Amino acid sequence: MSSLEIIDLKTHFPTPDGHVRAVDTITLSIMENETFGVIGETGCGKTVLGLSVMRLLPPTATIAGKIRYAGRNLLEVSEAEMRRVRGEEIAMILQNPTTSLNPVIRVGEQIAEAIRLHQGLNKRDAKKKAVEMLDAVKIPSPAERANEYPHEFSGGMKQRVMIAMGLACDPALIIADEPTKGLDVTIKAQIVELIQKVTEKKAMLLITHDLGVARELCDRIALMYAGELVEYAQIKEIFENPLHPYTRGFLGSLPDQGLVPIPGISPSLIELPDGCRFHPRCKYTTDVCKQKHPEMIEVAEGHFVRCFHA
Amino acid sequence: MLEVNGLTKHFSSGILQKQHVKAVDGVSFRIKAGTTLGLVGESGCGKTTIGRLIMRLIEPTDGQVLFDDIDLLTLKKRELRKIRPRMQMIFQDPDSSLDPRMTIGTSIAEPLKVHGIVPKHERSQKIRELIKTVGLSPEHVNRYPYQLSGGQNQRVVLARILAMNPDIIIADEPTSSLDVSVQAQILNLMKDLQKKFNHTYLFITHDLDVVRIMADRIAVMYLGKLVEIGETHDVFGYAKHPYTQALLSAATRMKPGAERKKQTLLKGETPGPIDMPSGCRFHTRCPRKKNRCMIEEPELVEIKGGHHVACHFI
Repeated sequence: MSSLEIIDLKTHFPTPDGHVRAVDTITLSIMENETFGVIGETGCGKTVLGLSVMRLLPPTATIAGKIRYAGRNLLEVSEAEMRRVRGEEIAMILQNPTTSLNPVIRVGEQIAEAIRLHQGLNKRDAKKKAVEMLDAVKIPSPAERANEYPHEFSGGMKQRVMIAMGLACDPALIIADEPTKGLDVTIKAQIVELIQKVTEKKAMLLITHDLGVARELCDRIALMYAGELVEYAQIKEIFENPLHPYTRGFLGSLPDQGLVPIPGISPSLIELPDGCRFHPRCKYTTDVCKQKHPEMIEVAEGHFVRCFHA
Repeated sequence: MLEVNGLTKHFSSGILQKQHVKAVDGVSFRIKAGTTLGLVGESGCGKTTIGRLIMRLIEPTDGQVLFDDIDLLTLKKRELRKIRPRMQMIFQDPDSSLDPRMTIGTSIAEPLKVHGIVPKHERSQKIRELIKTVGLSPEHVNRYPYQLSGGQNQRVVLARILAMNPDIIIADEPTSSLDVSVQAQILNLMKDLQKKFNHTYLFITHDLDVVRIMADRIAVMYLGKLVEIGETHDVFGYAKHPYTQALLSAATRMKPGAERKKQTLLKGETPGPIDMPSGCRFHTRCPRKKNRCMIEEPELVEIKGGHHVACHFI
């Protein structure tokens, strides 16, 4: 059964220079217990995708399409209901824990706050639960650490706190946006292992640019380019049989895969190229790529590609 | 060509209770002309400090930096200024390395002007040449940094550096703020430039995959000290220090092509440089620690031609 279903999602930002089409018609569904990765480079719209699901966008943004979760369209529920959904049903783990934690509130209290609000526990019980959560994310001596402030935690520890906070109300779906960004390799490996363990029985949308992390955590991954998905399949299939030229280019530009760069730069989300959005950088471009926008087609079971030549 | 001997930098903090941070503690290495030494380590290990010490952007506590047999650390300001053009540095964030109010052309012209390298009437010709060398087009000359992407700005930084015609380039995480497809462009450009101009690189990074393709030799740093140094092939293929092994194992877990298997993860985190562990600095996280490690600090020992390791149990 699918946990989250995103149908024809369009998130645009009107600006004086034109419409920024950050998310431009994305359709995907995430099964229960599944981790679905969205991989993309800076400015492809992947963070906006996560924020759209949580409805955490500035009021200027225009959102169209459907986001189906637990039998309703999240784009239509009231703000009060949405506030309950956030944290209780869907939690978000953000990148950069240093700016996501309040520097003047004790770590334990920050976790307890969410628990008090959503689960109606009293102060003492919430605090106890917060300590349990810190223990669950393997923070040593959690009872003492709960009374410390964020600056007393290292980067890896802060990310553990963010994960504890996200899991505090036992949500069924987690949206994690670059949860390992800025961490050292040995710490990153620890956090990946922790995320793997705590999300085993949950659905997760993992947004990242790091294929290595995606490979560890995801069941399926999608490649996102210039506001749309260009390919998605089971993780193994993407690595063994990448079909979209962007996916191939992305894999080939990795240092241990040949370091062959993709020529050119990603287009601006205001002036997207006609036809296939990747055509100005693609070496297989033909006339049809310049004129028509390719649809997502299923080339093998569960393997979807947006390319005329796949 | 570049030789660093016993380089040390201690920072002190606190007013009443002075605390000393041994950011760099007796580091020695040599880089042959035209080759690349990769300096690898996690945040806070002192790798950036080493780059800055060599450039004398900060003054070392002790040690020697020999550049063509000249000890840079004893040079007076004026002499240092004369030699500086021959050593250049690239930083992590290209956007903040460039003056946002200067056009690309002005930015590249500045070092030419300051050091009087190229006469005024030849300057614009030289700028066009440099722009072309780093793979930008002439129309970029009149643009501002905000109009360019991160990768393009890093190319501008490289053009500025090439303007000085340096011998040594210290690159401190030059691609860590770039996307992988752009990172590949910049790394390839740096390799091409090295071949063309015979640059000597000190390549500072935390990214093992990057250093593997860029460096001839690799030095691994932990809490202010080198724990292992050797040919890239030896360090990656026959890593001897438990920390190097842990780094490699953590990184291969992430590698797209690698087998998905359980590996022993390093427990805990790097201790703060203020309360430095006694004996071997790595003993608090080392899977192979014995009593001796807590008391006695291991020296770098050569185990094979040019491959040095600092561990009691190799």
